[in-house]
Amino acid sequence: MALFLAAVEQGLIWGLAALGVYLSFRVLNFPDLSVDGTFPLGAAVTATLISRGWDPFGALALAAAAGMAGGLWTAALSTRFRIQGLLAGVLTMIMLYSLNLRVMGRPNLPLLGRPSAFRTLSHLTGLPGDWAKVLGAGLLGLGCAALLIALFRTELGLALRASGDNPTTAQAYGLSPAAQLTWGLALSNGLVALSGGLAAQYLGFADIGMGIGTIVSSLAAVIIGEILFRPRGVGWGLLAALGGSVVYQGAIRVALRYGSRLGFTAADMRLLTALVVLAALVAPAWRLRKEG
Amino acid sequence: MLTLHGVSKTFRLGKESVRALDGIDLGVGAGEFLTVIGSNGAGKTTLLNVIAGTCWPDSGRIAVAGQDVTAWPAYRRARFIGRVFQDPRQGTAPHLTVAENLALAAQKGPRTLRWALGRARLAFFRRELAVLGMDLEKRLNERAAYLSGGERQALAVLMATFTRPKVLLLDEHTAALDPAHAERVLEITDQLVRAHHITSLMVTHRMDHALRVGSRLVMMHKGRVLLDLGAAAKANLGVEDLVGLFRKVGVVDDELLLTDAKACAAQ
Repeated sequence: MALFLAAVEQGLIWGLAALGVYLSFRVLNFPDLSVDGTFPLGAAVTATLISRGWDPFGALALAAAAGMAGGLWTAALSTRFRIQGLLAGVLTMIMLYSLNLRVMGRPNLPLLGRPSAFRTLSHLTGLPGDWAKVLGAGLLGLGCAALLIALFRTELGLALRASGDNPTTAQAYGLSPAAQLTWGLALSNGLVALSGGLAAQYLGFADIGMGIGTIVSSLAAVIIGEILFRPRGVGWGLLAALGGSVVYQGAIRVALRYGSRLGFTAADMRLLTALVVLAALVAPAWRLRKEG
Repeated sequence: MLTLHGVSKTFRLGKESVRALDGIDLGVGAGEFLTVIGSNGAGKTTLLNVIAGTCWPDSGRIAVAGQDVTAWPAYRRARFIGRVFQDPRQGTAPHLTVAENLALAAQKGPRTLRWALGRARLAFFRRELAVLGMDLEKRLNERAAYLSGGERQALAVLMATFTRPKVLLLDEHTAALDPAHAERVLEITDQLVRAHHITSLMVTHRMDHALRVGSRLVMMHKGRVLLDLGAAAKANLGVEDLVGLFRKVGVVDDELLLTDAKACAAQ
């Protein structure tokens, strides 16, 4: 039960990052790697602010804003300076590594005994800590997914989707591909940083290395969601990414607990995650070749 | 409605350079339907590209409805220029539904947080789709990718026309379709253009199409306008006459293999 709860909590918290990655990779069709920098940026901003006495919710808001700035930066590199998308993201990621150290002042910032959004929720609702975590993560995860689903049904959201789906068409109907990419990446990285900020409050610390592999684990969540739930349309796709994130976190918990019997340790997790993503990426092509 | 003044464009590919547009002066009046023919490399597609803004001219000015748009990016011109491409896949977004594609085309100005698919809009879409006679009004929630080439192109023509653009650019938009669909899409185009008096330029390889529709015919060769015929002169012309005119200027169809589209993409 504890394992199940942990999977749901973490799945929803890290699922916010999966929503962001779904937005950049699937909707905008832009392979944005800056998330490996904006996730810990969100954590660093949140932890720093809370340790200076900020309200945990205000800290989350500012974390999201910082992430959006990171997304704007990547978009600017790509659209203004014509830097290839992958490289633009990598540059942002590396720059943010230094910046995150600056923000925190040191590589690890513990938040022991500090207020957190979860503790406030627990206090407000009278729920025990674990359930407050599920509630908080659920409210934010599902809330953000619902907002995005609604956004995608508006003219603004449709413009974003069209621009990622077919830039030629989008341009022929009055949309600037650069402008769409810019606000799309801001939104995406805002979500990722929000995820990082919430993760810091959940874990009770921010660490300079906590962003490594964010892109891979988020993509794993997106892909697992697509395979398990076969979503039709972008709204279901978002919910599937959240669901995929829960399944992924569950699988990681199980692997951490029972993997040692097979000789795996925590150090192998990233390798295993990358292999899962690799398998999911290769499988369709492989199946096609077999059938064709 | 549309004026080009001294528009030139040269493509340089390695050591070779091709003068795709050579000082084009062209005025198209409101409601005129121009058909544009010419050999490969004559500059037809480049002409449409510089008007749409996806290709920058080296020199010259372009004005739409009295407004100089030479320095405007393509997406800004798109507010009053409609465009249908040769490839049906370029004119529609594949993962958006039929209704969503129409909604994309329905609001060319600044987008807002309004629902893209309101009830009134859907009713409007159904009425407009019914005009095509392809039963697309019953497939509003299907993705554009699932439509056939002809259906998708008919949808693209409808999308390009239903905000009543000041200028409509048709770039060999029936060339990639099977004969039956090509005829149907041409019919739909002619019908919509005339019903809404949309100033249009249609580039085509098909001389019979160039003669059958439109109120004016322009023949291009090596980046220049060689022939410009009004409705009366056009009505008396047959396909053989056009072929004869091409021969007279010494055009052999496979003479120039470099097409404008490739040159523009290579830039």
